[in-house]
Amino acid sequence: MSRASTPGSPAGRPGAPAGHRAQSFDYTDGEDEVALDPALVTSPGHGAVGVFQAPRPVPRRTPPAEPTAVTAGENADIDSPFLDLFGGARPGGARAIPAAPAIRDQPAIPQQPPTVAPPARPAPELEPPWTPDDRPTGGRRPVEPRRADAYPATESRVPHQAGDRLPMLHPTSDTDPAVGGPSPSRAAAPATRAPSATPVSRPTATPSGRPTAPVERPAVPTDRPAVPLDRPSAPTERPASAAPADRPALERAPRGADGSERPRGAGKEVVAPRQRAASRQDRPVRPTRVRAPKIKFGDRDPSVELAITEIAGHLTFTPNTVTAWYWLPEVRWAFRPDAEREALLSAISEQYAGLAGFRLHLRRTTRPFPADEWARTIDAHTASPLPDVPGTAGWADHLVAAQRHLMAVNHAEGQTYLGVTFARRSLGDSLTERVLRTFGRGTADGERRKLGRTVEQFDEVLGAFGMRGRRVTAQELEWLLYRSVALCMAPPGTLSPVTDGRWERGDLLALTEQVERYRTPYGSTVKLVNRMTGEERHVAVLAVGRMEPLEIPERHEPWLHFHERLPWPMEISTRVDILGSGDSFRNLEHRLRMIRSQQLDYAEHGIDAPPELERLAKRALVIGDEMTTGLPVDSARAHGWHRIAVGGRTREECLERARRLIQLYSRELRISLQHPKNQDWLAREFIPGEPIANTGYVRRMPVPLLAAALPQAASNVGDRRGDLIGRTAGTCRRPVFLDLHFPMEVRERSGLAVFVAEPGGGKSTLLGALGYLAARRGVQVTLLDPSGPLARLCAMPELRPYSRVLNLTGSEHGTLAPYSLIPTPLRSEFGIGAAGDREFEIAVSNARAERRMLVQDICMMLVPPQVAREASTATLFRHAVRQVPAEETSTLDDVVSCLGRLDDDAGKELANLLLDTAEMPLAMLFFGRPPEGLLGADAALTVITMAGLRLPDLKIEREYWSAEEALALPMLHTAHRLAVRRCYGGSMSSRKLVGLDEAHFMEGWRSGRSFLVRLARDSRKWNLAALVASQNPRDILGLDVQNLVSTVFVGRIAEDAEIASEALRLLRVPVNDGYEATLASLSAADTSSANRLGFREFVMRDVDGRVQKVRVDVSYVEGLLDHLDTTPAAIAAAAGVLPSIPLPDLEA
Amino acid sequence: MRLRTDDDIYRARLVYLGPPGYTLPVHLPYAQYGLFMLLVPLYMFIHWLFTFTVELFPAWEIALAIVTTSFIFRHVDPDRPARVVIRTALTDWRRTREPAVEQRDPRLVGSRIRIREELA
Repeated sequence: MSRASTPGSPAGRPGAPAGHRAQSFDYTDGEDEVALDPALVTSPGHGAVGVFQAPRPVPRRTPPAEPTAVTAGENADIDSPFLDLFGGARPGGARAIPAAPAIRDQPAIPQQPPTVAPPARPAPELEPPWTPDDRPTGGRRPVEPRRADAYPATESRVPHQAGDRLPMLHPTSDTDPAVGGPSPSRAAAPATRAPSATPVSRPTATPSGRPTAPVERPAVPTDRPAVPLDRPSAPTERPASAAPADRPALERAPRGADGSERPRGAGKEVVAPRQRAASRQDRPVRPTRVRAPKIKFGDRDPSVELAITEIAGHLTFTPNTVTAWYWLPEVRWAFRPDAEREALLSAISEQYAGLAGFRLHLRRTTRPFPADEWARTIDAHTASPLPDVPGTAGWADHLVAAQRHLMAVNHAEGQTYLGVTFARRSLGDSLTERVLRTFGRGTADGERRKLGRTVEQFDEVLGAFGMRGRRVTAQELEWLLYRSVALCMAPPGTLSPVTDGRWERGDLLALTEQVERYRTPYGSTVKLVNRMTGEERHVAVLAVGRMEPLEIPERHEPWLHFHERLPWPMEISTRVDILGSGDSFRNLEHRLRMIRSQQLDYAEHGIDAPPELERLAKRALVIGDEMTTGLPVDSARAHGWHRIAVGGRTREECLERARRLIQLYSRELRISLQHPKNQDWLAREFIPGEPIANTGYVRRMPVPLLAAALPQAASNVGDRRGDLIGRTAGTCRRPVFLDLHFPMEVRERSGLAVFVAEPGGGKSTLLGALGYLAARRGVQVTLLDPSGPLARLCAMPELRPYSRVLNLTGSEHGTLAPYSLIPTPLRSEFGIGAAGDREFEIAVSNARAERRMLVQDICMMLVPPQVAREASTATLFRHAVRQVPAEETSTLDDVVSCLGRLDDDAGKELANLLLDTAEMPLAMLFFGRPPEGLLGADAALTVITMAGLRLPDLKIEREYWSAEEALALPMLHTAHRLAVRRCYGGSMSSRKLVGLDEAHFMEGWRSGRSFLVRLARDSRKWNLAALVASQNPRDILGLDVQNLVSTVFVGRIAEDAEIASEALRLLRVPVNDGYEATLASLSAADTSSANRLGFREFVMRDVDGRVQKVRVDVSYVEGLLDHLDTTPAAIAAAAGVLPSIPLPDLEA
Repeated sequence: MRLRTDDDIYRARLVYLGPPGYTLPVHLPYAQYGLFMLLVPLYMFIHWLFTFTVELFPAWEIALAIVTTSFIFRHVDPDRPARVVIRTALTDWRRTREPAVEQRDPRLVGSRIRIREELA
């Protein structure tokens, strides 16, 4: 279940050790894949794991009450108005209650304390029958153990929902004797109510809601009716557990001198109700006892308003300026042709140049990947997941595991905002606003109307190709402001998992009040503490220092996108002034004059001027020339500050991350990131509207270089509704989801997916993993795996009841009878009317033609190659096949007999040759009729194997193949058909998936091509996802079906540069652009390690043409990798028992 | 596309060589002289606050100003002009050490901001 459902606790860790600790959480190593980094694993709800099943009874989970109780004293210095809600006292003698420890053992029972309360106070009208005489009879200390064994039984049956509480208050008599036995006097209703009501109602209460109720009650008697349900439970428990021995102690507690300094004020939800209830019961209401909250809003609670005073639509107002904000969508960068990239960059730089004269604020923040949203999507698209097998992870668990994995791997999505500060506000305007504010209205209508007209020019400039910016909404601006104030901290999650969870207007801004900031003198980090969640972040802000020349599309990554290589999220703030040609030239000329004068000085003094002066002067001249005569793009300059904020849970972690970032930038981009002092100001600079922290490091650059920063670059691939298969492995890490039916169902493309890799590149494993994941979603999956390891998938406990293995080498005669492998179309598959008739006729005759073609090819494969090469052979086969009716019911034997009946020696010879092959047991599969019900449509996963078949090496001439190897060829051909044949059985619209391994054997045969074409064509009609794995992309290219291919995976291809460039062609990535090396470097093993490589990488092209490097990672499915391991050792081990040693961590 | 910043032009080292006809033995940036000339009167003023006398040749003040100037310029580079260094030194000193009992900076609060969904 979702961990943090209350807004009070940060996701990663309990909210307990809150706020103001000098010592931070321990810094764990391995920051690369920090599990559950709170910055990503978002707090409440947001990164929550969506669960898809009826709510189960929660096994008495310990509420947050427990930890908070411990930190009562620690939090004493928090001056929060919220804390005063829980009673008036300041933190103090919290632990004064002697009974507390005993109760804390059972933290799930907040009401337990009231049980102890003595009955001195006659119960209010709700509880008339309750009399103190229960007291002596009732439980004593020993009740505790009894409670332990008696309650779970009751609890497990009770769905814990608020509504259930009421009926359970009237218990059945069977529970009564258990407790009520000892008290004969307890005939009254409350007495019977006691035992059952308490356990039942206890878990129903929300941990936080419950305690507050009793608190309110004594203080405000009128509240009483509001909480009638709690009422019976509290007092009735009393007989059960109130020990006479305890009572005095408890009574003393509220009454005594220390009673007044109860730590109610510290927000100890558990403690407060306890003593409260006690005091209520042991004496009539004594409101005087409750000391008025002593609110210490002292000098240490300053707050400073942000400079922004108003958000109106996409404009923000500060007292002096107005800024228009735009949202820049992510752009694809990786694997695009350089020309395209250059076009993009020049378009963006033109847009920047068009903003000359304005000050820009470019902000990039992140949003944790909404794993729960994805899970809801995939669940919505999964009509009938595979039924759960008891004892294994069900569909819900499967999704939960995937979400956990998503959150553990720290995926964050970038969000880029561009603010254009375009107007200075006149004194009148800001005065008007100030006056209107006092009346609850902001900026004057007239001003806003005027600005509305001005701002349209930016829509035009920014909305064009390049940035394609759109106006932000007020909510997005709120989000940006919150993220900027709480820099690098966990973002607030959705408000509620039940409703749409949206924050209302202003809520996010109100949350900024909770963020406190700490600084140290000349310190290198700023510390931010969220007072609500207790989250603590240390933030270091780095400034972009000296930059060496960059070759952006060709050699280097965009320089503000580059930081995404590192696995933790960072924030970027860039403040630049765009100078038009006039301004920038004046600026430059001034500088040039200074240089010249210095040169003159040297000359006057008769000293050799340093050579760089001349060089710089020349360069200034060149630039000046560019400015005066060039286009606006050449002349415009961007002078400004570029900052990157790095966060960490501790100072050390933060500095270590900063160090790694600096290292990465200096090594790969030759940009020296600086770590200036005055971090507090720098961190403030990230907030829109705040002043610039002038700590130097102003960068002056031509606009194209600013455009090449491209913080909005991203590497997305895949759809967002399929199974999680891994993450992108290029310049940034995004989760990759793949729904193989997405091309057909949404994009209306063919569902042919091609996998190409060298042996060992991970094709089969990926095929198996995709098959497994699809089968989990209820897709009918058929995998053809000639070599056999995928058959082990069927042994997985969650699939075992729904899967079957078909081993062709042990099958009956006629299994692969070629005629029946091609289904006859049904009339119902076509539209009604004459057009449908015609289509149907065409399809039927096509099927016949295809059958003939297949049979001819099979016959050619069966006869020795020398014979096949003779011209007469083809003619005779064609003749014979023409004689035999091309229907499903025909068999190969008909062809043989037809050949034998010819009065031609060659024909008889061919018939004999075919009969010769039929003697081999495997060849018998081709002859005869297929057995009935060979491939039932019932199994969710069918794996067809050909165990023991020896696959020939295609590089060797066919003449040299052994008889067995020669037979493998027609078997593979027909087996491919067989695998697909199964899919034509069910309904057309149901989702089907076929995975075909070793498809390279199809190359060179006419029927092979027609098979793939037909597969690609039919895939849409039949909603059939076809995965075809091959060792050589030439097979697919040679078959000329690449236009029908929607998804491509290319694995490691290091041996042959030619194959690599063909693979690139398949990916539609420019060839000879250096990407061949990328293919060779996929899944590169670390030579220094002796372990096996724990992951596989592919370059993937999705149906939308996006290409990315992808690291496949399905480790979240327990046991899947063990079952998919195709290495010899693992197969040997699997013969007995599956390897018990876990594979190395996939994400190592 | 080869892209480079214009920063190197601004990185030229501009030094004062001395009055015409006389070359100083050390060449220091103009800014350094400027800072020195600001610091001497400052120190003289501080001195005056203590003693209420003004010395004819403020030897101590000059010495202190030289030390301070050189100290400040140790941190100056083309990316970080002197005024930035001084400003940082003057503003960033607060909160004297990582305290055991922490003291906080003002929170930056955005809850007062007015929000309109639409501009007009």
